[in-house]
Amino acid sequence: MNPLARLTLFLALLSSISFGGVPSVLPDIRNFVVVTNGWLTDGDFTNFFALAQTIPGPNMILMMGLIGWKVAGISGATAAASATAVPPCVMYFVGYRLWDRFRDAAWQKIVRTSLAPLTFGLIVAGGTVMAQTADKTWPAIGISAAAAILLLLTRVNPLWMLGAAGVLGALGVV
Amino acid sequence: MEPPVATGRPPAHASLQGLFYEFLKVALFGFGGGIALAHRSAVERRQWLTDAEFADVLTLCQIMPGPNVVGIAVCVGAKTRGLPGAIAGFVGFALVPGIFGFVLALLLLGQARMPLIQNILGGISAGAVGLMIGTGLRLLKPRWRDPPAIFFAALAFAGLAIAKFPLLLVLLTLAPLSIAVTVFGRTTPR
Repeated sequence: MNPLARLTLFLALLSSISFGGVPSVLPDIRNFVVVTNGWLTDGDFTNFFALAQTIPGPNMILMMGLIGWKVAGISGATAAASATAVPPCVMYFVGYRLWDRFRDAAWQKIVRTSLAPLTFGLIVAGGTVMAQTADKTWPAIGISAAAAILLLLTRVNPLWMLGAAGVLGALGVV
Repeated sequence: MEPPVATGRPPAHASLQGLFYEFLKVALFGFGGGIALAHRSAVERRQWLTDAEFADVLTLCQIMPGPNVVGIAVCVGAKTRGLPGAIAGFVGFALVPGIFGFVLALLLLGQARMPLIQNILGGISAGAVGLMIGTGLRLLKPRWRDPPAIFFAALAFAGLAIAKFPLLLVLLTLAPLSIAVTVFGRTTPR
C-alpha cells in the first residue's frame, strides 16, 4: 500500500477510537509517522503541533492535514484531514440522535460517570508524551508547567499564555 | 433520575446561515476556550438549546471519540436542524477555518528554517503541551473528591504515558472495569 493510503487508513482508525479527543492518540500518531515510517522528524511533528495550536480553527484536523501534506502534498493534506474529521463527525451525528432519544435512560448516567475520568486521564497523558518530545530544555519544561498550572488555577486566556511562550522562545530562553 | 431542567422558554429557530456563522466565530475566536464560546453562542445569544441540552451535548462529545469541539458544532446543528444543520455547523467550524489555517500554516512553515521562527515555535509548543495537560486536569477537577474517578484517570494516564501501552488496549481494559465499579461499587452514583 502506498504511504498516503496507509496514513489515511491509520488516521481514520485512530480518530474513530480517539476517546477524549485527538490529543489522546497523539502518542500513537507520532509513533506511526515518526518512528515506524520516518515520514516526519520529531522536529516536524512538534512544529506542526505548535503551529496548529497557534492558528485559530480546528487544531488537530489542521495538524493532521499538515502531516498529510508532508507525506503526499495537497492530496495528502486533504485525505489526512478528512480521515481525521469525517468518521468521528458521522459518529457524533448518529450518536447524538440515539443519545437524545434515550436521554433519561439509567445507562447514560453510568456511561457518563465511568468513561469521563478515563478520557481526562488520556488527555493528560497525551500532553505528557508530547512534552517529552517538545521540551528539550529545563526552561521549556518550566514553560509547560507554568501553562498547565495557570490554566488549572486561573481564568487567563490561553492565547496570552501561548503568546508569552512564543516571546520567551523568541528571546532564546527555550 | 431527574428529568432535564426545563427553562420554560421555547427553543429559538436556527437558520443554517446562523449555525454556520456562529460556529465560524467559535472556531476563529475560541482559542482553547471553544466550549465556553459555543455555550455563549448557542445557549445565551441564540437560545437554540437549553443549558441542560447543552450539557448533554458536551458529555456526549467528551465520551465519544474524535475532535471534541467539532462534535459540539455537529450535535448542536443536528439538534436544531437535523442533517443539514450538522453539515452547516461542520462547515462553519471546521472546513472554512481549516482551509484558511492550512494556507497560513504553509506560509509560516516556509519560514520555519529561520532561527527566530524556530525559537518562537519552540516556545509555543512548550506552552501548548502545558495547556493540554492543564485541560485534562481542569476537566478532572470537579471529580476531585470522587476516588474511583481519580483512580481510573490515574490508571489511564499511567497506561498511556508511563507504561506506553497502545490506546486501544488501555481503553478496552479500563472501560469495562470503570463501568463495573460504577454499577456495583457505588451506593450513591453521582
